[in-house]
Amino acid sequence: MKNIVRELRTQREWSQAQLADLLEVSRQTVNAIETGRYDPSLPLAFSIAKLFQLPIEKIFEAE
Amino acid sequence: MREKQAKALYFRELFATLGLYCLFVSVSSIYADSVPAGPLRSLLIASPILPALLMVWTIIRQFQRMDEYVRIWSLENLGMGAAFTAAFSLSYGFMEITGFPRLSMFATWSLIMGSWGVITCLRSWKEKSQ
Repeated sequence: MKNIVRELRTQREWSQAQLADLLEVSRQTVNAIETGRYDPSLPLAFSIAKLFQLPIEKIFEAE
Repeated sequence: MREKQAKALYFRELFATLGLYCLFVSVSSIYADSVPAGPLRSLLIASPILPALLMVWTIIRQFQRMDEYVRIWSLENLGMGAAFTAAFSLSYGFMEITGFPRLSMFATWSLIMGSWGVITCLRSWKEKSQ
């Protein structure tokens, strides 16, 4: 899956560590999601969508 | 729990259990020879298993604290370490038949922990370079 998490994060001028803290996950997990190495679980995808106040399908897209 | 807090707690617990393990090993190795052979001596020699089990419990607690990606990633590393150890022990088993020196079971323990550590370092380095 493709995602725009990195774009959304940089728009808000957050570091990966800050985003990780807000999502209560590790920085390694944020990095893996941003680089497309890991597709998050549904609960984590919902947390990301809630944080950025966007629908999930706007953030994640099937390749 | 935040990542840094979880890591700090894990290292505190791990080093405490490691300290206990060293203490039990020291006590059992100092006093084992002075105790006559029998169940008491066997118990004394086997006593380091108690802090070792505490160490296992500490590692399990850390796995439970990990988030979903790090847990999968760490379990993959452990699986690769176990596979490497299995391949090595099988190969070396055949080599023992051809006359290679017999290895202690301690070698297996060192090998699985060592390979888990090396694989974790290599994969971390690979991820950072991406």
